Amino acid sequence: MTFPEYLESRRDLLLAQTLEHAYIVLVSVALATVVGVGIGVATYRRRRARAIAVAIAAAILTIPSFALLGLLIAPLGLGYLPALVALSLYALLPIIRNTVVGLTGIDPGLVESARGIGMGRLRSLATVELPLAWPVILTGIRISAQMTVGIAAIAAYVGGPGLGNQIFSGLANLGGVNSLNNALVGTLGVVVLALVLDGCLALLGVLTRPGRAAGSTASGRPRRASGARPPTVSAEPAALVSTTQGGH
Amino acid sequence: MTDDVMISLENVSKTYRGQKAPAVENVSMTIHRGEIVVLVGPSGCGKTTTMKMINRLIEPSGGRILVDGEDVTALDGTQLRRRIGYVIQQGGLFPHMSVATNIGLVPKMLGWKRGRIEERVDELLHLVGLEPGQYRDRLPRQLSGGQQQRVGVARALAADPPVMLMDEPFGATDPLTRDRLQNEFLRLQEKLQKTIVFVTHDFDEAIKMGTRIAVLGERSRIRQFDTPEQLLAAPADETVGQFIGAGAALKRLNLRRIDSVECGDAELMGVEESPTAVLRRLDSCDADAVLTVDGQRRPLRWVGVRDLGPDQADLRGIGLPVTVVESRATLHDALDQMLTSNCGSVVVVDDDGRYCGVVNIECLMRAISEMREAARERDRGVIEASPGTPAQAVRGRR
Repeated sequence: MTFPEYLESRRDLLLAQTLEHAYIVLVSVALATVVGVGIGVATYRRRRARAIAVAIAAAILTIPSFALLGLLIAPLGLGYLPALVALSLYALLPIIRNTVVGLTGIDPGLVESARGIGMGRLRSLATVELPLAWPVILTGIRISAQMTVGIAAIAAYVGGPGLGNQIFSGLANLGGVNSLNNALVGTLGVVVLALVLDGCLALLGVLTRPGRAAGSTASGRPRRASGARPPTVSAEPAALVSTTQGGH
Repeated sequence: MTDDVMISLENVSKTYRGQKAPAVENVSMTIHRGEIVVLVGPSGCGKTTTMKMINRLIEPSGGRILVDGEDVTALDGTQLRRRIGYVIQQGGLFPHMSVATNIGLVPKMLGWKRGRIEERVDELLHLVGLEPGQYRDRLPRQLSGGQQQRVGVARALAADPPVMLMDEPFGATDPLTRDRLQNEFLRLQEKLQKTIVFVTHDFDEAIKMGTRIAVLGERSRIRQFDTPEQLLAAPADETVGQFIGAGAALKRLNLRRIDSVECGDAELMGVEESPTAVLRRLDSCDADAVLTVDGQRRPLRWVGVRDLGPDQADLRGIGLPVTVVESRATLHDALDQMLTSNCGSVVVVDDDGRYCGVVNIECLMRAISEMREAARERDRGVIEASPGTPAQAVRGRR
């Protein structure tokens, strides 16, 4: 069976596995975002606390994914749950890190200005600091999503859902009829899914850029393209991820 | 102590944790309703710390601060800050919010209705000279530095607080813009009569803005707290004298506005009149030139006999350009303009650019000698009252 024929014959199964794969990635990244931004917000003002938070998240990332998934079988059993927990843990680092970097990178004058006009801690965080740090945080979320799509393939090892099942059955039947097709479709599917997800998140970034709503209605003066993007620190966490990903 | 006192600092100190020496030590000062008190001093002298203790951005470690009779340390800091206007360099505007949102922040926190906030925002934009329809929806980055600063002032004024704190508000603008912003702000203040504490390290700005100036030394110790006139005429000690810098006499020109001196008058002629009318007018008086004005009495050019050609129907486009100053500008500005102008005199205009009078070097000299006379009178009073004042000591040294 050629590759296109294989795709045609397993269309429904492949579609279902792709959706499952996307779903578990989205859920775990969403979970990691809530927890990661929470940890970032709780620690960014204290140097020691934020160093510890980032260090722990980085340590988790260095655990090989096979090992972590295997370790989680004992308390959580097989299936969806250990996969979700492992993926969420892996997704934490870029999000915590970028939340801390984004929040500490805001001009201290602005934070003081917020305090000076009578904003309390929470209000300042909600209306000034988080919106301004959002592009950086979103960059962290994008990195997490990319990374998690790849790691989710391995989650099939503990009975998790998704395209990993194609890859594993390919590897199990090495030399069999459809083994190459299996491995190929799993791998390509993961790559395509990662690209599509990243595209969606990039679009989300454009739609939620701070000040976008006001900027688009302003008439008279053309928007300065260079000034329109708040500074991001995407390069740093990206580099960090690429060096540690070898462990998986 | 009278009703007149708006802010009073009583033995206020601040020691930061982990530091032995206090940043601010034992400062006492009363600030009256409606005055601009400028805290001026070298960087690191604690002037900003002193100011920030008034709205408790920094908590004082000792002493009392009363605003309108209330001890601020007994109030909730956040609530307190909503009642005190706060302006920092560049306005401190939030870059992700439109101009209108920025200005409406404090009213919104105070629970105003949306309609009322919108009305107030438009009113404030008018007040600071920005057309609401054009600027309301812009983002701060779509404004020039000067415009951002104006919005910053509007935001601080939003809930009409009686007290405003300004931390080097015009520091980040170029000299020309700064000058204009200062003039505009003084004009606003004439209307609003707020009580303002203004921090700067620029002594010239202090002289221009201050009703009274507190020259601070290390640990915010008050070296002298006096009106600009007295400060220039009689610095309390050598340090203050050094801080004032050279050219105190010239700086005193900053203290008088043009509208407080007697202006001369020019021969005005409409720009549509004929050259023969000019000749007739110049014959009938001892002026060398007439000043052409447009329909709204806005000055255009100086036209003398030599500028008149035989084939001209009217006076458009001929003669020397005029140099204008606003009637609120200082004598220093007038002198400066005069020295750079072509004809040794400047035309004074009102807020709408209409002709008010002409100032030349004779007018300035007259004003200066009046000031010197007044200072001498005052000093004589001082010396008789208390012999051996610093004022006398300084004069003796010179």
